[in-house]
Amino acid sequence: MQLSATSARSSALVCGLAIAVVAAFGSHVSAQVRASTTATYYRESGANLSHQAITPSVRVSGVVRDVVSLRLGWDADVVSGASVAVVDAPGGEVDAITSATKWDDFRNNVTGGIGVRGEFTSLDVSYTWGRESDYRSHSFTITGRAELFDRNTTLELGYGRGFDQVCNLAQPRAQEPVDRQRLPSSDGCFDADDRESLDLSLQTFRGGWTQAWTPIFATQLSVSAQVINGFQGNPYRAVWLGRAAAQENHPENRVRYVGNLGARLWVQPLRGALQLGGRVYRDTWDVFSVTAELAWEQTLWEGLSVRLRGRYYNQTGAHFFSDDYGRAPRGQYFTGDRELSPMSSWLAGGRVRLDLPAGDDGKVGPFAAFAIVGVFDMLFYDFREFRYGRREVPNDKGMLATLSLEAEF
Amino acid sequence: MDSRSSSELLLRPVRGLAFARTLGWLGLLALAACSTVRPEEKEFLAQPSMTFGSGGEDSAQEDHVISNREGSYGGGGVSGGGCGCN
Repeated sequence: MQLSATSARSSALVCGLAIAVVAAFGSHVSAQVRASTTATYYRESGANLSHQAITPSVRVSGVVRDVVSLRLGWDADVVSGASVAVVDAPGGEVDAITSATKWDDFRNNVTGGIGVRGEFTSLDVSYTWGRESDYRSHSFTITGRAELFDRNTTLELGYGRGFDQVCNLAQPRAQEPVDRQRLPSSDGCFDADDRESLDLSLQTFRGGWTQAWTPIFATQLSVSAQVINGFQGNPYRAVWLGRAAAQENHPENRVRYVGNLGARLWVQPLRGALQLGGRVYRDTWDVFSVTAELAWEQTLWEGLSVRLRGRYYNQTGAHFFSDDYGRAPRGQYFTGDRELSPMSSWLAGGRVRLDLPAGDDGKVGPFAAFAIVGVFDMLFYDFREFRYGRREVPNDKGMLATLSLEAEF
Repeated sequence: MDSRSSSELLLRPVRGLAFARTLGWLGLLALAACSTVRPEEKEFLAQPSMTFGSGGEDSAQEDHVISNREGSYGGGGVSGGGCGCN
């Protein structure tokens, strides 16, 4: 996978165009315009399998006469690292890691959306175009919302549809999955004769209910289901099957079910909010997970707030996961994905938000409002069954840092 | 002899369960209707820390990075909503 300078230039162009369109629109119809730019840095390190990702984004939105809202945005994932090309290859558990393949990737996403708001209802539609050297995607979402009972109840229904394409190695002579070889690189993807494009279809259904129960307590319940059909493996990864290695082979169909429950409690003596969250997930690959989250958000003084957060995640493995397919095969499917193995993680982190104080004219320099947000998280992973040969996963700690600037015009 | 077809007998408990679930949801909605927080009482609910989905782009990116390292991403909640303070 190659970092594409052309993609970077086109993204900058689209981004600049987005800002210009919304700014011009706003200046002519006296809209309220907001803009933000955010960058996140994530790093995992351990032996040769270090991994880092930088995620920059720009968002611009405008609301015209409190009725119509427009959104435009761009984000990217600039990822680099090293991965084990053939998981559990024999005769060199150490070599599997020390000879890990270096790779980098650059993914662009451009999003546009429009919303219409009535007195108690709203409707939003959006479109996202995504592209990287070996992956293309188009997705649409539509979300309807209604406020009931003195606006104490909000019901939301959403539907999303995605049409993705994945690049793979064309192998017309490979009759069985065990005969398929991994994709060596993204060179020639979507163009060359020895590459093929595989479809991935996604449908997401979502419902939400947000409720204010008392002046200091609110909850949000949401459920969603996602139906995925198509190629869902990593085309670059192969798995050692005992006598030979083959490109990992995942089922083509997957249905995910998710339930979320969140609660907010205002604690007046401390002038802060207790935030609780729980999530339950189940899918047809037999991955079952639970997530529990606890956070405290405190306003230290006018314009400065701090949020401390702890999160625990635990999942079971997919029914076809095995740490050694040579000795313990799991039927027709095989994977080298550590995220399909039984695993858990802990997160501890914090967030600081500073809203700059306005001057005598009610403005912050040229802006109506301006805020700076910083986030820092530490993550600790535990892969209970996944090994590279006999070696445990070395990159089991992560660090995440985010800086965001938000302006209102 | 029971004149109902096997499919009717098979579906009967499912229909009963669906009916019970529908009743349950309607009951919850009725309970929601009973909560009467007046607009002038929404000072605390209007705080960003009390509003769901108010985290902005930084939270979206945080969730994006974290969920990419897990096997069960998606369905993280619905956008915004809550107190009806806007």
